Amino acid sequence: MKRNLSVLLSLVVLASLLLAACGAPTPTEAPAATEAPAATEAPTEAPAAYEGLKVEAPDCEYGGEFKSIEAVDEFTVKVTLCVPDPAFPSKIAFSSFAIQPQEYLESTGGTGDLLEKPVGTGPYMVESWERGNQLVFTRFDDYWGEPAMNQTLVFRWGTESAQRLLELQSGTVDGIDNPGPDDFATIEDDANLQLIPRPALNVMYIGFNNNPQVEGFDNTTNPLANEKVRQAIAMGIDRQRIVDNFYPVGSEVADYFTPCAIPNGCVGDAWYGFDATAAKALLTEAGYPDGFETVLNYRDVVRGYLPDPNIVAQDIQAQLKENLNITVNIEVMESGAFLDAADSGQLQGIHLLGWGADYPDQTNFLGYHFGAGASKQFGDKFEDITSALDSGAQLASDAERAPFYEAANNAIKQHVPMIPVAHGGSAVAFKATVEGAHASPLGNENFSVTGVSGQDTFVWMQNAEPISLYCADETDGESLRACEQVTQSLLGYEIGGTAVEPVLAESYEPNADLTEWTFHLRQGVKFHDGSSLDANDVVTSLALQWDAASPLHKGNTGAFSYWSGLFGSFLNAPAQ
Amino acid sequence: MITDTSKIAQLDSEGLSLRSVSLWQITWRRLFRRKSAVVGMVILGILILIALTAQWLAPYDPLQPLIGIEQISKRANPCIHLLGCPASEPQHIMGTDGNVRDEFSRLLYGARLSLMIGLTTVSFAIIIGTVLGALSGYFGGWVDNLIMRVMDVLLAFPSLLLAIAIVTVLGPGLQNALLAIGIVSIPTYARVVRASVLSVREMDFVSATRAMGGNTIQILFRRILPNALTPLIVQGTLGIATAILDAAALSFLGLGAQPPTPEWGSMLGAERNQVFTAPHLVFYPGFAIMLTVLSFNLLGDGLRDALDPRLAHIS
Repeated sequence: MKRNLSVLLSLVVLASLLLAACGAPTPTEAPAATEAPAATEAPTEAPAAYEGLKVEAPDCEYGGEFKSIEAVDEFTVKVTLCVPDPAFPSKIAFSSFAIQPQEYLESTGGTGDLLEKPVGTGPYMVESWERGNQLVFTRFDDYWGEPAMNQTLVFRWGTESAQRLLELQSGTVDGIDNPGPDDFATIEDDANLQLIPRPALNVMYIGFNNNPQVEGFDNTTNPLANEKVRQAIAMGIDRQRIVDNFYPVGSEVADYFTPCAIPNGCVGDAWYGFDATAAKALLTEAGYPDGFETVLNYRDVVRGYLPDPNIVAQDIQAQLKENLNITVNIEVMESGAFLDAADSGQLQGIHLLGWGADYPDQTNFLGYHFGAGASKQFGDKFEDITSALDSGAQLASDAERAPFYEAANNAIKQHVPMIPVAHGGSAVAFKATVEGAHASPLGNENFSVTGVSGQDTFVWMQNAEPISLYCADETDGESLRACEQVTQSLLGYEIGGTAVEPVLAESYEPNADLTEWTFHLRQGVKFHDGSSLDANDVVTSLALQWDAASPLHKGNTGAFSYWSGLFGSFLNAPAQ
Repeated sequence: MITDTSKIAQLDSEGLSLRSVSLWQITWRRLFRRKSAVVGMVILGILILIALTAQWLAPYDPLQPLIGIEQISKRANPCIHLLGCPASEPQHIMGTDGNVRDEFSRLLYGARLSLMIGLTTVSFAIIIGTVLGALSGYFGGWVDNLIMRVMDVLLAFPSLLLAIAIVTVLGPGLQNALLAIGIVSIPTYARVVRASVLSVREMDFVSATRAMGGNTIQILFRRILPNALTPLIVQGTLGIATAILDAAALSFLGLGAQPPTPEWGSMLGAERNQVFTAPHLVFYPGFAIMLTVLSFNLLGDGLRDALDPRLAHIS
């Protein structure tokens, strides 16, 4: 009986496999068939024969920035926006918006294989991923640009900075990310190694949940809901001491949330100076002469903006006790749970978090954190901050935007939703023999230009394993760096810098009011599966993120956080 | 074994009593004859002394970062004036930690915490374990089955893993870590007590008490348990060592004592990345844990031998 059942079961499985095998090619073949003639007849009548896809929102009421994405012809994509967006090129260049072949996306259903085997246009393609061990890439020989320096690129990872340095010193890896701040001198003194500082395009801040009803303060009001308390804390923490003692060289005290290298980053009044007496007086005035008890949450994860989380947290704890008699209980949380709790406004008290630039624009700093669409990380929003940011984001030139960002920075200083602490310098280290070694302020080091002459394999060791390789649905820098070796977006950032440069789009132009952006695709670009890049690949890759009703809108968790963070609501988003 | 004091007094007065030597006196004598046990006791004695007098011994406040107070950098190397460290530099026998706190002071206060952890968790586990084991051994039947199967389930998990699971549910913190370690060590004591109760239960003096109409509680707590105590003492002493190790492991993982508490495990964990740049910050707490655990293990081994009646002829 049992045997019969298992035979039956395997038959059913076989049948379904057969069905799937027969069923799958039909949808993928169909577009290929229509495209094939178009491609061959391209020189004469290409536009007429090309069936371009178009995804369009019925109106702009749904709350997002996109109005439509359209494949005008085989090599032209037009994006229409609901509101002017001067930062659009910087945003669309981000690695979450990388292009993959339409056929491949459809055959994977938007998840599954896609998470481990991305098919991109980049200089490397994924060869194998042994989970927990290593990720191996090989050179893509049909790459449209300069071929990669190495035949094989290997990503490894280790959470302990001591371990990463040891591997570099012993020569088992060629480059490492984030050496420990105390090891900078060791690396610089070692003739076999080179240390490359990474410019500090990030910020570490002490966030407050200002919501009076936050969980955990059921019977008493949350003291942090009081603006004076937050101002007192802002004055009562010696940020210079933190940066001097616990940050590596190249770090600086943050006087604004946004680093000064970003246009309009440092406009308005600089942050409060350290003054323990004034702080204590203000806290007394706010009604807490004897201080109070609160919680400090953070994740024990090393990032460029926070090289030593435990030590910094304990120093803040000691300072608040000494200067303001505020008792701080430290609670270390798991990284994912911490970010979720922060975003949904469930963290009580104080938290330590930071932000590294994804693209060099104020919308990525102030807009993302304090704008109307920002998360509940800091509790209730402040109307004067959000309105200034909304107005600023829609203006084209930096000069026009300046007064609004000045107003926003001043309002942030007054309300203190958080205390900017430091722009943390970090570094990468390579063997001295490595050519093309560089560090990127955006954290996207490009290993197609980095290698050792006469050596086929280049091994890179970073902080952690990628979560998945479908970066439309990842926010973790360790995943993004791996994706960036394989997949490319319409635009990109210069190697080791932040300037936007054309990648898959050879050129692009906006209309006068910055709501229509036309991208002209590079011709003859091949994907790793041998297919050619065309406009429908672009439309499919982007629309599946935008359109929550798309059958391909699955990804790893389905959150597509960068899309919603940069472009607002999803199309057809399910009602909450 | 159990002697009624009034009876002895009576016998004494009649001049009939032999010079009685109690079990504890014998044990004590045997214990002192074992070198390893003496070493264990000496180390333990010093540790207890340090724990009791930490506030007078420690040159600095263990929680006070010395930034701005002294010219000293974080993770400074040990500086001992007697060993040639220039007098212009402040003396830190074991250097400073990542937050520029005096490592030596923290280590001294850590002794207090570690001994407290060992004693409280084991006392907790012994109390609960003894009650469960005694009930189980005395009543037998379904009570025995129920309690022992639950204990088997607890024993089936690796103890540290179970402790981590419990702390994850309760939330990190020293108290919760103590509770977790206490809970995972219950089964050992329950089993030890149950085994002794089973053997003592059938002895003649117990039957005698029962025949004379002693009630259950009387029999269990006045007759059986005192006679089942010996293995428990040995197990408890060794258990303290395990508990200290477990607590250090939990704190190392960030689940036990929360900063800035000077707990050895968390001190070790906090500086694990500095093992090459500032090895003293990893060495001293690690050495302290080792020494404490060693002392309890030596003492426990000594006690076991001393209490073992089969080795009586050796004395």
